[in-house]
Amino acid sequence: MSDFILKVKNLNVQLEGELVLKDLSFDLKEKEILIILGPNGAGKSVLLRTLLGLYLFEGEIHWRKGIHLGYVPEEFTVSKNLPLSVKEFFGFKKTSFSEIFQSLKEVGLEASAKFLEKRLGTLSSGQLRRTLIAWVLVDRPQVVLLDEPMVGIDIHGRKTIYDSLVGLWQRQNQTIILVSHEIGEICKKADKILALNKKKLFYGRPEEVITSQNLAKIYASTISL
Amino acid sequence: MNFLYSIISGIFIGGLAGYLGSLMITKRMALVGDALGHVALPGVALALIYKFNVSLGALPCLALGIVLIWLFEIRTNLPMEALTGVIFTTSVAIAFLFLPESEISTALIGDISRINVLDTVVSVILSVIIFLILRRIFNQMVLANLSENLAKVEHIDVKKYNFIYLVCIALVVALGIKVTGSLLMGALVITPAAAARNLSRNLSQYSYGALVIGIISCVAGVLIFKFFDLSAGPFVILTATLIFLISLIFKKK
Repeated sequence: MSDFILKVKNLNVQLEGELVLKDLSFDLKEKEILIILGPNGAGKSVLLRTLLGLYLFEGEIHWRKGIHLGYVPEEFTVSKNLPLSVKEFFGFKKTSFSEIFQSLKEVGLEASAKFLEKRLGTLSSGQLRRTLIAWVLVDRPQVVLLDEPMVGIDIHGRKTIYDSLVGLWQRQNQTIILVSHEIGEICKKADKILALNKKKLFYGRPEEVITSQNLAKIYASTISL
Repeated sequence: MNFLYSIISGIFIGGLAGYLGSLMITKRMALVGDALGHVALPGVALALIYKFNVSLGALPCLALGIVLIWLFEIRTNLPMEALTGVIFTTSVAIAFLFLPESEISTALIGDISRINVLDTVVSVILSVIIFLILRRIFNQMVLANLSENLAKVEHIDVKKYNFIYLVCIALVVALGIKVTGSLLMGALVITPAAAARNLSRNLSQYSYGALVIGIISCVAGVLIFKFFDLSAGPFVILTATLIFLISLIFKKK
């Protein structure tokens, strides 16, 4: 495996009799950022969940042995009435207060005792999503897999999270796999882009593959950069 | 002595039922306790006819019911409450094929005067064991309820935990049936937890609040049975309902 943290070869995934991912091959090295692009229904989330071992597959997925994965799912809602405080939510993982505060700061949230006492269900959707990201990051996974982490977050919030993700990557040598619809700034910070629509559309370094022609392949129309 | 046995059993079973209820409401399974009370009915009927412990009668029926619900859920992906509905109505239909008319009241609303020393010892030991198991799996179950995929990635075996949780529900229902009977068992699980939810700011206040309200309800029911010679089961539930109504006044926003 050398410095490879993940190798995927000839991956096929069938859900309810339908082939949703076909013959995908790619790899990822330590400290790299991989961004997965594609239209709705392209199989991006399925790919992420398959990498996490949540779906059955054919082909090969080899993670480096003993790797610690963190996952930010696309859907995460909490009932307003659930009496679960932010502090208790972090209590599901065995972490210290200093680690919790550090993690909250990294995603641009208020790191205070008052915030920890808040009920998870009373947070705004942006705060909840950032809290979830902080929760996933708090025990320092070596690879973080994020599925559309910007859903429900305003532009300012998006920038904070993107900056913190890139900051983390630089400071802590974290490897990131990010499913995103966006082809803006974050793509330029990626090491690799994988575009798919059930099968691989293109794969490579952003400067090589982010072209109008390639993007038209994803979104089936001409996009000027 | 019987009063002492009743009150000790009531404290442990009521507290445990309340604690379990807090998890059941979180998982939107509030009515499953009610339904399982009915699933136990054929076994309760047999126990009353052949004069053996109703919990022992209830357990095989509950075990069978739980395993069927669990298997059906894996096979069909239908909501657990729909599957529970199918099983519990079938159980009631079967029980009423042979339940004698003279035992209907005991089967449906319980008879705490029949609790003896062996029942009490078994109730206390089982209650403590089940409480410790539930406390151990509580956070994992809440996380799995927020996001099953997230829980799986955090190495929580959701299917296994769901099974342990269902077994705990079956055992609590089997124990509680002695206090409140099949018909009211669901309320012993739901109402204390619903009241506690209104009064709590966090998960810890909620789960332990439900435990305390469960204890208060059972103790009140047993005291009413002792001093007014009225059936304990209905008064256990009415006490819990009264606390629920009071909790509405102090409901946390």
